Amino acid sequence: MAEASGVREAGADRRFASSLITVGSVILAVVAVAVLFAPLLSSWGPEEIDPLASLAPPGGAHPLGTDLNGMDVWSRVLHAARLDVGIAVAAVALAVVAGSLVGLVAGYRGGWADDVLMRVLDVFQAFPTFILALAVAALLGGGTANLVAVIALVNAPAYARLVRAEVRSIRELPFVEASLTSGSSFWGVLWRHVLPNSLTPVRVIAPLNCGWAMLTLAGLSFLGLGVPLPTAEWGAMISLGSGDVVAGRWWTSVPPGLFLLICVLGFSLLGEGLQERADSTRR
Amino acid sequence: MRILRFVLRRLLQLVPVLLGVVVLTFLLVRVLPGDPIRTILGPNATEADAAAARARFGLDRPLWQQFLDYVGGLFTGDFGTSIQSGAPVGSEMALRVGPTMELVVIALAVALVLAVVLGIWSARHAGRFGDHTVRVAALIGNSVPEFWLGLVLVLVGYSVLGWFPAPSGRVDPDTELSLITGADLLDAALTANGPAFVSALEHLALPVATLVIVIVAPLLRSVRASALEVLASEAYTAAAAHGLKGRLLLRGYLVRATLVRLPALAALVFGFSIGSTVLVEYVFSWQGFGQWALRGLLYRDYPVVQASVLVIALFYVVVFLIADVVHAILDPRVRI
Repeated sequence: MAEASGVREAGADRRFASSLITVGSVILAVVAVAVLFAPLLSSWGPEEIDPLASLAPPGGAHPLGTDLNGMDVWSRVLHAARLDVGIAVAAVALAVVAGSLVGLVAGYRGGWADDVLMRVLDVFQAFPTFILALAVAALLGGGTANLVAVIALVNAPAYARLVRAEVRSIRELPFVEASLTSGSSFWGVLWRHVLPNSLTPVRVIAPLNCGWAMLTLAGLSFLGLGVPLPTAEWGAMISLGSGDVVAGRWWTSVPPGLFLLICVLGFSLLGEGLQERADSTRR
Repeated sequence: MRILRFVLRRLLQLVPVLLGVVVLTFLLVRVLPGDPIRTILGPNATEADAAAARARFGLDRPLWQQFLDYVGGLFTGDFGTSIQSGAPVGSEMALRVGPTMELVVIALAVALVLAVVLGIWSARHAGRFGDHTVRVAALIGNSVPEFWLGLVLVLVGYSVLGWFPAPSGRVDPDTELSLITGADLLDAALTANGPAFVSALEHLALPVATLVIVIVAPLLRSVRASALEVLASEAYTAAAAHGLKGRLLLRGYLVRATLVRLPALAALVFGFSIGSTVLVEYVFSWQGFGQWALRGLLYRDYPVVQASVLVIALFYVVVFLIADVVHAILDPRVRI
């Protein structure tokens, strides 16, 4: 009886996981369409100023109104997706590659290189990640390339740890030893056998991390440390609109945040679904 | 005795980490672009003015001498002098820590209670509609930008409904609250200032709500996961099979075993909420530690940056230490 209910629960878990993945993927697909066709979906340019309308409420020529500078909110929200998603995905990709490589070598080699690396990671992890991103971004200055670097930098240590732990258990497995004794080179084994097997947890974490990277980026921009105006970016748009809120003008700050939320939610649903599926398979 | 030795060993492990933080911050803030002197002098200052100002703050001396001075000062509790304000960094910081701690501690407490109640409920109804609703709500909480959420709460709570005060400051200045700790609620209670207490509560409501919504999600997920594991464990099944009463089963077996994992996670979430607090403070003009540290960073106020970074790291690692100790008390296996 207990077993039967366990099986039923595992089935329910897997169905729930599948629906999370489906909804997350649909959201991300819609975002992808917005990213690709942003210019076709809006009649104004993202930085085009309507001299006749500053802070115009939604309706008429501007479906979501205009901001303080007379720029069309709808167009800016759509175009911002390109920058926000682009920077976040690029940063996470960079973090995955850099972190995995470091973790791979440290975990496989061991010895002093491993010790030094772990101590450096300890110092990194003495800070909450957003604080670290904030400090480095404030000192480095804004701009797209710097933001990618900063967000990658604060995320890479987690991947290094994750991959290192995996590698340390994989390198003890018989097939690695077998491959080495049959004459494969050190790097060959590392590349062909250890690396692919150690990336399993990374695949699950990376989508969740993309959402988190978008929140970091928007947070930095909100504080004025990210992408400078007038470039369309969600955090900077919310920052510009934050003064309007007290006066009850919602359309300059609510839409960009809502789009950001939906987009991050897409990544979260996908990540959570993948994790749930991995868990239920393991059970 | 065992616990004491455990704590001592962990404290010793902190020394190299904090030393690394001190050296790294000192170097980074000087190596990266930006000049603190130029920001206080204005555009018309001559080279001679800049040199004089640099000498006044000791920035003309060799790097190693500045570093020794800084570290020497740390041992006597001297964090240096702020380049922006000219005031001692230590006393400036003391004024700012209280308000921020008030915000974070209240939010974390509320979030912990919510997470435990909802998480255990959700685990006991696993796989059903209520459970799925709680989980999706947690995912949304995990995905919401906290600074935007704060603005939305201001829009609804202040601009539309008018139930809460405007997002500027922590207490109504008319209540003449005298400053003791900087945490206004505590100060009002200590001085028995009723109106100030009410005003401080009203000002706290929205920022605390913002933080709670953001930090409850990860806590909730973890409580639910551990509760599920406990429910599936042999110990719990045996207890249930012996026909123990529902309340005893819940309190004695489920809750305690579930809470064992919570301290480490609460520490992690505490760190996360420090990051969020910087943004929330900014939205609500809280004038706390986060805003102070941010301004220091933007103006390259070396002593302020060094002090705030060190204090955040110290707080963070000490909170993790406390979490480990609580974990060791709850779970005797750790001490071995």
